[in-house]
Formats: sequence, structure tokens, C-alpha cells
Amino acid sequence: MINKTWTESVNPLYPIVCEVTKIIDETPDVKTFHVTSANGKPFAPMPGQLGMLSMLNVGEAMFSVTSQGEGHLEFAIKRVGMLTDALHEIEVGQKLAVRGPYGNGFPIDMMKGKDLLFIGGGIGLAPLRSLINYCVDNRDDFGKLHVVYGARTPADLCFKDDLFEYWPKQRDFQVDVTVDKGDDEWKGNVGFVPAFLEKLNPSPEGKINITCGPPIMIKFVLQSLAKMGYNDEDIVTTLEMRMKCGVGKCGRCNIGSCYVCLDGPVFTLAQMNKMPNEY
Amino acid sequence: MMNKLTDKAKEVAKELLEKKEVNLVLGWEKGTFEDKTAPLFMKKPEDVEKLIINEFCVNSLSSYMLHYKTHSGKIALFVKGCDSRGIVRLIQDKQFTRDKVYLIGVPCSGMKELNENGELVDSAKCDGCTHPNPIVYDVMIGEEVQPKNPEDRYKVLQEDLEKAIGDRWDSWTKEYDKCIRCYACQRICPACNCRQCIFVDQSQQWIERRVDETENATYSLIRAYHIAGRCVECGECERVCPVGLPIMKLNKRIAKDIEDLFGSYEAGVELDQKSPLGDFKYEDPEEFM
Amino acid sequence: MKSINKQKLADVLNEWSKSHAVMAPIEEGNITSFIKWEEGKVVKLDKNSDIPVKSVFFPQTEELYEYKVEKDNMEIIEATPINEELVVFGIRPCDLKSLEMLDDLFLTRGYIDPYYKAKKDNAVIVSYLCGKPCRTCFCESMGIDYQKAEGADIAMYQDGENFGFVAQTQKGEALLETIASLTEENDIKLPEKQEFILKADTEGLADKLAAMFEHPIWDSAYEKCIGCGACTYLCPTCHCFDINSHSRSCGTGFKTRCWDSCMFPDYTLMAGGHNPRPTRKERFRNRFLHKLQQFPERYGKIACVGCGRCISKCPVNVDITDIISQLKEVDINDQQDMDRVG
Repeated sequence: MINKTWTESVNPLYPIVCEVTKIIDETPDVKTFHVTSANGKPFAPMPGQLGMLSMLNVGEAMFSVTSQGEGHLEFAIKRVGMLTDALHEIEVGQKLAVRGPYGNGFPIDMMKGKDLLFIGGGIGLAPLRSLINYCVDNRDDFGKLHVVYGARTPADLCFKDDLFEYWPKQRDFQVDVTVDKGDDEWKGNVGFVPAFLEKLNPSPEGKINITCGPPIMIKFVLQSLAKMGYNDEDIVTTLEMRMKCGVGKCGRCNIGSCYVCLDGPVFTLAQMNKMPNEY
Repeated sequence: MMNKLTDKAKEVAKELLEKKEVNLVLGWEKGTFEDKTAPLFMKKPEDVEKLIINEFCVNSLSSYMLHYKTHSGKIALFVKGCDSRGIVRLIQDKQFTRDKVYLIGVPCSGMKELNENGELVDSAKCDGCTHPNPIVYDVMIGEEVQPKNPEDRYKVLQEDLEKAIGDRWDSWTKEYDKCIRCYACQRICPACNCRQCIFVDQSQQWIERRVDETENATYSLIRAYHIAGRCVECGECERVCPVGLPIMKLNKRIAKDIEDLFGSYEAGVELDQKSPLGDFKYEDPEEFM
Repeated sequence: MKSINKQKLADVLNEWSKSHAVMAPIEEGNITSFIKWEEGKVVKLDKNSDIPVKSVFFPQTEELYEYKVEKDNMEIIEATPINEELVVFGIRPCDLKSLEMLDDLFLTRGYIDPYYKAKKDNAVIVSYLCGKPCRTCFCESMGIDYQKAEGADIAMYQDGENFGFVAQTQKGEALLETIASLTEENDIKLPEKQEFILKADTEGLADKLAAMFEHPIWDSAYEKCIGCGACTYLCPTCHCFDINSHSRSCGTGFKTRCWDSCMFPDYTLMAGGHNPRPTRKERFRNRFLHKLQQFPERYGKIACVGCGRCISKCPVNVDITDIISQLKEVDINDQQDMDRVG
């Protein structure tokens, strides 16, 4: 029930209908969806921002925008529950409803001119990728780029094209990949991400660190980073909570007095240390 | 009458904790006002000082056992007649074994409450009580009492049974317009012991959080059917309902139907009994065959 | 002030009903809530309503939009606007204060909730000043004067026989004009203020709680809570909601938002199975920290108006004034107290 003046203001709970223009099978349980609306890109997010994807007759959930092109957005979605099951069944040409952008995005200004170290695990590379591609598109604004990424097995590595083809070709861009368990063809490092990180031992000098991945990996990565001498203000990560409205009204995603959908999902470690341990 | 039991109750609880026979005793303590009590969790002998037994100890402590069934060691709890039937219900539903609990029986002469005008009246849930004395217990404090008006077990159905069926549906749905789906009835009921209630758990969306005629009817009717034959008629569901829904009417109607179909039956009155809906006897009616 | 004999209330509401939908506390089936007044309905003003006034502006269930889903097509249909002018009548000062907090939540911080705004902008707020506190009231401890109607368009006085109306805004004046012929000029005096039975000292509480997340007090405070949603649904300031889709088999459906409660076990349950608040302890702690520390940190007000509904309706007598006094006793400068095992 809405007021006569409603359409004059932006209704943040109202999605727009979009079409799926491409689906890429990244891993056995992760697919990347390219989504576009009648007017091109559904919205123009900053790296790290989120969009609410909705299959109207099933439900909706928040996903990070993993990349964007001139006229489309990309979402990488892992199959974990009822909604993502349904999403994985759709075909190119089918419609989705999308609303956004939500969230605070990565603190780009803080990162300009610095060297950046990206540490990702599994599907955690998806939000990082939006920032990495932004850095590649604005290469001169940033220093050296270093990606350390791991997944359970070689088949579970996401965005293989970027990891092995596109990113290594960029200027001053180092990519190091590991898997927890190799296979017959895997020639790279075998081991968990935190141990791999310590083996590589990138110097903390003048570096901002951005890390995303499963909670257990983040926990050990943060320990390793502390050991290696990184400051809490220079470590950036994303937190996840169940979100419904996306605009800090429904109360669900609070960690302490922060709403993850509004004040997050990107936080520095210094900020997280002040928040209650409930995530 | 029941106030005299307080001293004996404190003695029993203190001894249990001092001898470390149990590491938790559930009882009651004074609430915000004189006519209210709140559940009390006693872990050390000194906690026993707060214990009281009086005519306002209306809370059934039985369903808390669902939160403590993996708690190490034995747990003691004070049980009135209806509360002990709740414990029997939980044991029959295999939530824990009889030796997990040490039951301190409290014969109950009826609970009281303050009504809207501030007058002391009998609690609605005690009307028609058939078992004021605990069914199972390890020790009993106080003398057994006679049930006041057990013949009134189904008195609350009288008004509706005199209505035509169409009118009954209308008056029911109108009543259930008030339901705000807080699920207090499900949380407190000892028969509602599913690990994940299909209504509270939203992952399968059997019903949503929305409130409307369909959703309210679905929830209330299906819950009544799920506990059919297992409801111990303790009346806690109706007591905890913040909007005063006549939940016991529905449960008692089903209990009466079960008696009509399968013969005289009361749930939770014997540890070894089987529910008519969970058992088969040759004499069972078979109109469908 | 403009006054009427209380017998004439129906005439006043009738007059207002000609141009507005009048929402008033009306008892139906033993429960008083704010519903649309019609001729013949009796407004219940002797006690506070059971369901708070938030249900008018933030209804239990509200349609957001409709949709149609087919194999290759998806259509979203705006909900039909209802341009209803409202008079919300009989709001007590505690519920009035809660509207201030809901305004902060829904109308500030970047996004404006259009559904709430539409109703709030179109409403004339008529507050009803209390004669005396009930035994579960403690609004005074929450900084509310129960004989003042801050923020209302019209303040309504009562002395047992008569009602008096004082316009506090232009909207209020305009509304009073419409009943000019029904009123007389008379000053109606409220009864003398009385003592509250329940009190809560919240000074410095929010700052103190910021350091008490891991305090052992939470290890025992939650035990009697059964985890139903009654307190949150009946609380005038609780605002959590869920968004659901309701689909028919033909592919059409509608999206609704409805009240949700942080006390339910699946409130923060995520698709992969992780739940940051897996037991009653975390959810209980979250509710009180949200009301007493997090909402004040974000919006500058304690999210409790002292209406006492949670105290009277909680089946196990969880009492927020008791929790506050327990929290008050904790000395955060005493390390032993902070480490105390509960």
C-alpha cells in the first residue's frame, strides 16, 4: 500500500526485472551469471557492493557483485540451499529480479597508491574479483598487485580464466594458487592458504591486505598476517550475515550496532576488533 | 495451603545439591509481583533460598528438559500433577530416560491468578483437572489431594458443541484472527518436541511468517493434529498465549474424539501406556474397511 | 481547550470518519488493538492496548508488490496505492515515543521506507494522556512524562467524565476545526500524578553494556526464556521484519513483509548452515543489547518506552526492569566481577 508520492522517491525494496545473458560453470557447485536489464546494467555498483537476486516465486538472497561490464553485472553463486538450487536450474534467457546496490564497498581511497595483497579461499574470490578488476581497469592508481588464492581441489578453483590467463598478463601482477588436495594434473602448490601465505611471506611494507573466504580460513589467515607483522588497520575483510531488506531496517544482519548490509559487508580488522564476536 | 510446602521444598532441593546427586534443580521463585512466579534454576545450595511453592507456581517446568537433555548428570525438578504428565510425555517420546530426572512431586490444590479487576480467581487451566497429584515422582512433598471437578474435563466444549458446524468454523476463524504467530504455544508444549518445528523453521516454507486466515488455520489445526493422542491437557499453551486464544478447546475436542473412537484414554498418566494413535488393537474401529 | 463529555466521543469519531479512516484502540475478543473505528464499536481507553500502535504504520503483514512469473517472462506489478488519510486516535505517551523511534529507523540513514512514510505522512496523531500508571508501567524511568504528548498533533486530556483536546500542530488545529460545533471551551484537568511501582535506572547503561558482551551475567539470565516471539511482537519499538514471497501455482504471487522476531531460532540461520546465534543465550543477549546499547549507539535513544507489555505478557516473567537492575549492579571496573562465573 503506497502513497501517491511514492514513485518519486527510490523504493529500495523494489527490484527490476533482468535477463540472464550468460552462465559460466566455474566449478561443480559454482556458476557465474551475467545479468542485464532493459536499460543495460541494472545498477552501477562500486567494488564490494552487493545485489539482492530474486527468483520471485522462490525467494531472494544477497550476493556480491563479482564483476561488471558496460551493460551487465556478474554474480558468482555457490549452490548451498533452496534458492541457490533454483538459481542453478535456470537457463540463459530466463528472467531474474535484481535490486541494489547495497553495502559499503571496499575502501578504495585508502588503497590508492599502495601495494595490494588479495587473499581468497573458495567462493571468497568472488567479492575480491570486483576489486581486482577495478584495480586492473585503473591500473595506474595502485601499486603492485598480488593474489594468493586456494580452493579444496583444482576443480573447485573459481575464475580459472582470470587466475591463469588474464591477471598474470597484467603489469606488476603476481598470482599464486594452491589447493588443499591436488589431482593427477595439478602442478602447483598443495596446502592450505594460511600455510601457503606464510611460505610466500609477502612483506607487509606499504601494503593493504584484503581477504575473503570461509570463516575458518579467515581465522587462520588473520593469525598468519599478525605473525607476519601486518597492522589491523591495513587488513580488510568482508563479513556475512543473513540479510533480508538490504537497507538496514529489518534488523536481521546486525553485528553489535552495525548493520552488515549498510555499514558493511566490508570492514577493517581494526573495526572488527571493536565488534562483538557474533558472526 | 501450598505455602507451607516451601520449607520442605527448600530442604529437599538443598540436600540434593549439597550431596551433588544432581547439579541443577528447577523450581520457582518470586516474580515481579506477589501474584507472579518465574522459573528458577538452582545450581548451588545457596540458590535454594529463592525457592517458593505457592498457588502462583503455574509454570510447567517440564519442557525445559528439552534444552537440558544432553546436560551431563541428573536434573531435579518440582512437578505438579500436570507437570508430571508433561515429563511422562517426554519420556514416552524418548526425549530422555526416566533416570535422567529426579522428580520432586508437589500435590496441587489449584493455581490462582489476578483477573482484570485485580480479583483473585482460579486459573482457567485448572478447571476440570483430573490429576492434581504427580503421576511419577521420586519424592513427594505434601499430602495428596482430591481432584476438585474432574467431571468437568470437557466442560469447555459445551458451548461449541451446541453450535451448527458452519457457525463453529466462522467463530473459530474469527477467534484466530487474533493469533500473532508468536509460537509461544509450540515452545512451551511438552508434546511439541520436534527438534525443528516445521512451522518455526522457515527454510522449507511450509507456512510463512505472514498472518492471515489460511496461515493461522494451517498452523493451529496442524499443530493440534500433531499432538493428537499425546496432549497431556496441561493447559500451558492457552496460558502462555499473549492474545488469549482458546487453544485447549481444540486440544480437548480432539481428546474427546479419541475417547469416542478408541475408548477411555488420558495421555501421560502411565509411563508404559501407548497412545491410541501410535498403537493397534484388534478392537479398533475400521469404518473404512 | 476544546472539550466534550465522554459520551459524545462517538460523535467526534463519526465526524472525523467522514474525511479520514479513524484508527482507535478497540477490543475484539479480549484483545485491544488499533483497528478501524466504525459506528457501534467501542473505543477502549481504560488500559493501554495489547497490540501497540506500530501495527498501524508498520502492519504485521504488508504487501510490497505483486509479480507474475512465466517460463520466459517475469513481471513486477506495483501495489495499488491507497491514499487514505488517517486519524490515529488514543495513542498513549509511551507508544507515542515509540513512533519517534520508528521514524528514526524507517525514515533516516540514507534510505526512506516508502510504505511507512506514506502512512505516517498521512496521519493525524491524537495522543491520549494517561490518568495513572498501571502496575507494569515504567515509562517515567524511560524519560517519558505520561501527562505530556510530545510530537502528537493533538493532546487529549481526560478527567473521568470529559475529554479535552489541545492542538499542538497545524494538522491538529485543522482536525479540531472539523469538530468545532461539537465541543465547548473548558479546561480539563488530569488527575494528580501517582507513584510507579516499577522503576529502572538506565543512566550510563548503554556505555557500560558496550563492554559487557562476554559478561557471565548472560550465562544465567536467559535460562527461563522459552524463545517465543511474544515480547518482540508486543513491543512498540521492535521493528524486525521478514520478506516472504507467496506464490500461487499459476505463477502469480505477491511479496509481503511481516513481523519477525530475533528470538526465533532461525533468525540468523544462513543457507550453508552456520548460525551466529545458535542458542537462546545469544538471542536473549542480542535482544537486550539491541534495546539498551545498540539502538542508543545508532540513534541516541534507548529502544524501550516502559509500556510494560513484555512484562505482563511474558509467560515466564522475564522482566526488563529486573534485567536492567542486575546489569546496573555489575561493576565493570572490578575485574573479579567481570570474570565472575555465573
